[in-house]
Amino acid sequence: MFTIEAFLLAAAFGLIYGFLLQKADFCFVASVRDFVSVKDSRIGKGVLVLMATALIGWGLALSTGLASLDQVWSVPIGATNLIGGILFGIGMTIAGSCASGALYRSGMGYIHFWIVIAAMIAGNLLFAYIYDPWGREGFVEPLTFTEDGFSLYSLGLPFMALPLLIVAVMVLISIKQFGVKGFLQGVKNSLTNWEENPFKQQHWDVRFVAFLIGVTATIQFITLSSISVTGPETRIGGVIVSSIFGENVVFNNVYLNNMFASYPTVGIGPEETLVLFMIVGAFISSLLSKSFKIRLPKAKRLPSAIGGGLLMGVASRIAPGCNVANVVAGVGGLSVASFIVLIGMAIGVFFVTKYVFKMPILLFYRDKDVA
Amino acid sequence: MSLTDQELKDLKADRTVDAIGEVCPHTLNMALDELKKAEPGEIVVEVTDHSIATKTIPAAVKMNKQADFLGTLKESGNYSIFLKKR
Repeated sequence: MFTIEAFLLAAAFGLIYGFLLQKADFCFVASVRDFVSVKDSRIGKGVLVLMATALIGWGLALSTGLASLDQVWSVPIGATNLIGGILFGIGMTIAGSCASGALYRSGMGYIHFWIVIAAMIAGNLLFAYIYDPWGREGFVEPLTFTEDGFSLYSLGLPFMALPLLIVAVMVLISIKQFGVKGFLQGVKNSLTNWEENPFKQQHWDVRFVAFLIGVTATIQFITLSSISVTGPETRIGGVIVSSIFGENVVFNNVYLNNMFASYPTVGIGPEETLVLFMIVGAFISSLLSKSFKIRLPKAKRLPSAIGGGLLMGVASRIAPGCNVANVVAGVGGLSVASFIVLIGMAIGVFFVTKYVFKMPILLFYRDKDVA
Repeated sequence: MSLTDQELKDLKADRTVDAIGEVCPHTLNMALDELKKAEPGEIVVEVTDHSIATKTIPAAVKMNKQADFLGTLKESGNYSIFLKKR
């Protein structure tokens, strides 16, 4: 896990993720918000393609024996999943981006999202100091109902059964919605959306990018680890505080100590390297398409960057996991907890869209309504 | 209704919204706020460098019928989104 190869591999995965996320402006907040608000399902379709690719990828990896069941990421089930998901959804909508969105937009030069990331890490650490001394017994453990995580893969069915079933249902629903012709046209459009030199092109089709991210995450699952963002960010926070106040600050806190349990020292491991290189990947992608620019935030947006980031940092530890871990590794790994977290996140995004930003909610709008 | 790039360049904006550096949901809300202030027939242009806004703003006015979307002009990494208040 801590070999040079692992670090190089992690850096390569990070570069690819950052590059792809930037190319599609793959914003998970927008996938829900724009759907409920203006009925724009473009990015939502990307998220569904990502889930479908991860499901097939994880299923294949397990069926072929390239990965084993104990590699599947799943976390204990409880009310914490729903509460953490809702709070994370609220936080990311206020902040203006999800965990991965903050990384790729940081690479594009948005100072706003550097502040969001710093606030998220502060939120991670804040949670660690709430957890120990009193949060663990006060609310985390009472609200967690199972000792271990549960993945539907451990039901004993053939590994490909559930992924194929779920993806078949997704395909059938989209065929019902758009017709066979419309569905095939969508597939064709997603593959042929090229103008010039793809690397210089500003925008890639989000469904195509989602497929590539799903494939990359599957390879990462087989060769390295399950993709995650906020766990590594918490460790980066741990490394920062330990470099200022000494390692005992980490070892004296149960939560932080656990985060580094499998680490040889309090330091940057492959997963942290991956997260940092996502920023680099997005930076390269935006430079190539001339989208890079240092963008200073307006002063009135700072409270939402700091407040939203802090909330995301705390919530991602309660849930646990961010949008990426739960959408890709959680859904791909058929982890029951992740499905609950994702429902929570959607509720959180909806709540802020309607009641905080007071945006129009046109999801249920029909043309005849105004006639 | 979608105009060509040249037709968009020839249009004179009555109101311009500077949304450079902003991201969702502010890019959409700023456009909707400006549309509320505009008189019918006025051209409202939002200038943004946030690609998602080029989808959400046309989608929103298509449904709320407060404006016609005339087109998007792409110049040096910025998008100018042209709307005509109804």
